[in-house]
Amino acid sequence: MRRLLPAAAALLLFALPLLTSNQFLLHLGVSVLLWTTLGVAWNLLGGYAGQVSFGHAAFFGAGAYTTMILYLSRGVSPWWGMLAGGAVGAALALPIGLTCFRLRGPYFSLATLAVAEIVRLVALNWESLTAGPVGLLITALPRVTLLGRDLNWERKEPFFAIAAAIAVGAMLAARWVSRSRLGGSLLAIREDEDAAEAIGIDTTRAKVAALMASAFLAGVAGGFYGLYYRYVDPDAVFPISLSVEMVFIAVVGGLRTVAGPVVGAVFLATVAELFRDRFTVGHLIFYGLFMMIVIRWLPEGIWGRALRLLPSRREP
Amino acid sequence: MALLELSALTRDFGGLRAVSDLWLEVREGEILGLIGPNGAGKTTVFNLVTGFVRPSAGEARLDGRPLTGLKPHQVVRRGVARTFQIVKPFPHLTALENVSLAALVRTGSRGAAAAEAERRLAEVGLSARREAPASELTLSDQKRLEIARALATGPRLLLLDEPMGGLNPREVEQACGLVQRIRDSGVTVVLVEHVMRAIMRISQRVVVMRQGKKIADGPPQAVVADPAVMAAYFGKRAT
Repeated sequence: MRRLLPAAAALLLFALPLLTSNQFLLHLGVSVLLWTTLGVAWNLLGGYAGQVSFGHAAFFGAGAYTTMILYLSRGVSPWWGMLAGGAVGAALALPIGLTCFRLRGPYFSLATLAVAEIVRLVALNWESLTAGPVGLLITALPRVTLLGRDLNWERKEPFFAIAAAIAVGAMLAARWVSRSRLGGSLLAIREDEDAAEAIGIDTTRAKVAALMASAFLAGVAGGFYGLYYRYVDPDAVFPISLSVEMVFIAVVGGLRTVAGPVVGAVFLATVAELFRDRFTVGHLIFYGLFMMIVIRWLPEGIWGRALRLLPSRREP
Repeated sequence: MALLELSALTRDFGGLRAVSDLWLEVREGEILGLIGPNGAGKTTVFNLVTGFVRPSAGEARLDGRPLTGLKPHQVVRRGVARTFQIVKPFPHLTALENVSLAALVRTGSRGAAAAEAERRLAEVGLSARREAPASELTLSDQKRLEIARALATGPRLLLLDEPMGGLNPREVEQACGLVQRIRDSGVTVVLVEHVMRAIMRISQRVVVMRQGKKIADGPPQAVVADPAVMAAYFGKRAT
């Protein structure tokens, strides 16, 4: 039962575009899948390793700009562009990790917040590369083939399929990492960093590896964002609110769970749609409110609690 | 040759010289008791040897090769394991998982690590509590868990920081037996401890520190009769 559930969910996901052609619904679906990927990415570091980052928008934005710049200036296919976006995100994570991981706990979190702001300001002012506040716009649509057919840029279905593939891939990667030797090291680090060192774990290396994997996924998601909206500017891809949304998705869905971010993303999309129209930035207040409720009464998250209630075998 | 050598080891914290020009040899196969009043610098010595704190001067060598400059995880891989004065278990993990993670660093396969962890839990007498979360163990059991976890890294030298602090007399007895069995299995032990009865019974040699300096080094009976040691603990006799 527990083995079939994920497979059935994945099948349903890929079949969804066949069941509905409602473009708004599919657009919501794309948003949820993009957020899911970001939640999974954040969870790798914040959940499994317990290192709370408030600056993950930096990797998302770096990925988005990489994909856009490579296409606009070099004509690189967005497929490769998205991968390059992930690679640039991971490359950016290396120096950030090596410096910020000298700090622990809340100090690390504050450092990531500061670094993300620095990255945003660089993007805003490096006009020769990023066009600054004007942003980058794709006007001539690239000819992209998906499964041998030209991608129809005016329909949501192909983007839904791509977003679904990325989200499922991210979840499989998270599952693999959590069961690997690195996963064991991250678990020990989350529990007690000194004790982890004392049993022979290179904690700095493990944390940097987790950050780079996390940043890669966020970068790929950023690349997809650029492709989907065909436009990026610093306020769209580097805002603090995006970093906070990633925390929200992982915490509300369930830290250290593979599928928790899906639940968190659905929740976030619902809150956003319910409140965004009525209050301009009011939805942010509700994010904060729900986060407090979850942390106080549901610290393992919605999906984390559901897993506990389901009859299950204990993971070794 | 000595297994562990400390030469001119010194560490300053601001204006405080926590460890001052310490020379010390630990011989293979012995149980060395390291004692001294609170604040004498005993835990700092452990932190200096295991790489948690860098020395201001001097160095520590294992088998003649320097340990100083290595990070804690590198020191462990060289064969020096430690426990903490204030226990640091992985609180949300079971006893078995705690020890397995340590074994995993050496063995690589999960199955082999779990088997090694079972052996180590049996060695310290915790097999019955293998599925209990570490945070729910008694202090005595948590201290034994830390010893099992340290042993699972396969050390040649084990540094125990007050493994008997806060234990009742019966538990102290058990802990003494455990430390002796560990030594008999071929692991050299350095023991920081305030429980004098235990130190006197199981150490071959005792080193006394006071205000960062070594003030005595010898067999337990000789050391406790030393006037300098008496003065460190009780003050000088008024004449």
